[in-house]
Amino acid sequence: MFFLKKLRHSITLHPRYFGRDIQEFVKSKLYQDVEGTCTGRYGYIITVVQVESISRGNLIPGLGSAEFEIVYQAIVFKPFKYEVLDGVVNNVSKMGVFAEVGPLSVFISTYGIPTDMKFDPNGNPPCFQSEDQTIEKGTLIRLKIIGLKMEPNEIKAIGTIKEDYLGMIGQ
Amino acid sequence: MRLVDKRIPHRRQGLAEEENAAKVILGDDFQNEQCLFISEVKILLDAQHEAKTAGDKNVTAVYQRAYDYVNQFARFKNQDSVREVRQFLADDTLESFEIAQLANLCCEEAEEAKTLIPSLTHKKDDDALQSLLSEMLTLKKFQT
Repeated sequence: MFFLKKLRHSITLHPRYFGRDIQEFVKSKLYQDVEGTCTGRYGYIITVVQVESISRGNLIPGLGSAEFEIVYQAIVFKPFKYEVLDGVVNNVSKMGVFAEVGPLSVFISTYGIPTDMKFDPNGNPPCFQSEDQTIEKGTLIRLKIIGLKMEPNEIKAIGTIKEDYLGMIGQ
Repeated sequence: MRLVDKRIPHRRQGLAEEENAAKVILGDDFQNEQCLFISEVKILLDAQHEAKTAGDKNVTAVYQRAYDYVNQFARFKNQDSVREVRQFLADDTLESFEIAQLANLCCEEAEEAKTLIPSLTHKKDDDALQSLLSEMLTLKKFQT
């Protein structure tokens, strides 16, 4: 799910940047620091929408650097367990299917794929096939997340399509 | 005198109850946050896109993948139809999360919506949900 979320970030600035454009500099540093990052707590921070406030700089004793507290609004993407999402298949192998849901990669193992779908290694491209649906690279599928693993700069998800109303999306 | 402050930060003491989208348990950080439709994210990203890609600025991989994704799956393409959907899905009994899931998945039948968003089961009866879905589909069909 995508959220509009208010977040905080603090930036430490070396004295060499103190000057007229300090606000602009703090902002661009914020964009650099947070956009595209991923934490287990907030999920993927896709983009900063608005900078709400920048605190006055606090000098750090003994260093000379200044610290700024920034409050900003960002679009974040955070997946939840048992959430249903649409995604695009980007890899098919005999172990299962990898799908992309925005920045998130979801792996659907063969246990999460309906038993009537068989892997066809000779297909071009390789695919999972049953009588009424084919899943290959580029197919749009609807999946449910059944497991999540938070890693330092990435979230890994396990999904399933072995339930009602999941699987290939008719176009 | 009590030396230990009893107010231990509550938040990160492990997960009391596991996050579970089927029951709309989203954790402290997201429980009351505003959920965005994929279509709304598309509008927001589109508005930024030119400034982001102007010159030789590099966009992050996360941004690019999110951008491609919302362009693929945005159901409502223009601001007016998104606003309209937002308006008629607005319902006090529904969580922001459920509203966004309804708009994102664009189910056709009440049965389908309840299977994919199980928390709806006890909140809406089939007829009310069905009329909501049909209205949304009509809007989707006739958007310009």
